[in-house]
Amino acid sequence: MHVLPVPTYLDDRSLDQLAANLPSWPPEQRLLVDAHATEWASPAGFTALLTLGQALKEIGGPAPRLTLPGADGVASYWAKAGFLQHADDFFELHGKVPRRKAAETSETLLDVTPIRESKDVHEIVGRINERSTQILKRELDLEASVVGGFGQSLSETCQNITEHAGTGGWVAVHVYNFRRRLGRKAVVIAVSDAGIGFRRSLEATQAKRFGDRWSDGLAIETALIHNISRFRDPGRGQGLAGTKRYLARWHGKISIRSGTARVCIPPAWDDEPPMTEGLGWFPGSQVTIVIPARESAS
Amino acid sequence: MSAVIRIERLLHETIATPYSDLVTRPTGAAVRQRVLDALHEAAGDEAHLDFSAVGLVDFSCADEVVAKLVGQLPDLPVLRLHLSGLREDHAEAIEHALRCHGLAVVAVFVDSPRPRLLGTVPEDWQVVFALLSEMGRAPAPPVAEALAWPLVRARAALDALAAGGCLCAHPDDTFELGAVA
Repeated sequence: MHVLPVPTYLDDRSLDQLAANLPSWPPEQRLLVDAHATEWASPAGFTALLTLGQALKEIGGPAPRLTLPGADGVASYWAKAGFLQHADDFFELHGKVPRRKAAETSETLLDVTPIRESKDVHEIVGRINERSTQILKRELDLEASVVGGFGQSLSETCQNITEHAGTGGWVAVHVYNFRRRLGRKAVVIAVSDAGIGFRRSLEATQAKRFGDRWSDGLAIETALIHNISRFRDPGRGQGLAGTKRYLARWHGKISIRSGTARVCIPPAWDDEPPMTEGLGWFPGSQVTIVIPARESAS
Repeated sequence: MSAVIRIERLLHETIATPYSDLVTRPTGAAVRQRVLDALHEAAGDEAHLDFSAVGLVDFSCADEVVAKLVGQLPDLPVLRLHLSGLREDHAEAIEHALRCHGLAVVAVFVDSPRPRLLGTVPEDWQVVFALLSEMGRAPAPPVAEALAWPLVRARAALDALAAGGCLCAHPDDTFELGAVA
């Protein structure tokens, strides 16, 4: 049994610690994903853990064990966020499993939701739209005009799965306090899939240009910075471009992790380097979008 | 004559959804096919794509439904294609998609009867379009005169707008905005 410790605070950045401890893929031994000491997980954390479980299932490996958080209320929050109901399909759960079902709270705009086909994207966008209008205005003091772009960004990010991943994935949208990095609340969209990743998706059309330098980092950069998709149609690849434009206007952030690299477009409030390479490998692709509250809010 | 094509109705004929959001590329492609069918059934020079009951429009659908149709205009059974009932967030996605293809379209917003050009619109086109929306039907010389431009410059802008389906060019060498005005 290979023990994989889950960081105390699991988010898009600390996922790197989890990935660094993954054994070579496919794992030779059964995994024990140990979240016993985990105190908090962001939407990016939830969707990434499910991606790991899904990837293991898709390669036909034995179901990994997942030790649930021991701290009071943490596992309960994981249930409320919709994580546990899906985790049960991929992990053998250990610890006290709360009976609580996913529930609407002021922090959860969208509980952890699977994306398999384009009709799922319709459902997600439709479900979230009315609720997000109220919450983005009330909790983040954002203008009504921000809400349309929010839905567009959510739709495009989810479509990356149905259009490019070659398998299903997960989305979750929460509002929470970014006390340390931002000093105010933010809405976070996390989308993760267990698919082929950016490098393989773009390899046939782009790798030749880069020769030996072709890598996960360059593949993400090609898509995110240069708006290039595997399709040659000029209308393709524009979903990410439109999302970037929207985020630039509202001082938001997008970061994409795929394989062993992460590329982001950091706003002024964030110190993440634009590209980080040489990370531990993690299956599929993970996209995180952060839209901060207006400065006067929260 | 102009046909009005209600996009939200076509959306619901295309997919079973309780929502009115025009999202995802496959949905956009399917709706575009419905619009093409409707255009073939409708008679007339102009068609209006009515977005007034549409919720969200994402970038992929804006590309599939609007940019690809406008790009196909020479092959369509209408001479001009206009958008109506737009909101600012619709326009943002549509404008982005049109610019990727170097295209332009005439649009009327829910909150204003004044038609606007969306997409890749050179400055001369904007100026001529705005003037013609005030003047009504006119030939090139008074347009050039009103703008203090050489006739050839005004003529070039009018012809380009007409070629892109943004103006109606009459056989008597006059131009107008058409039914959208």
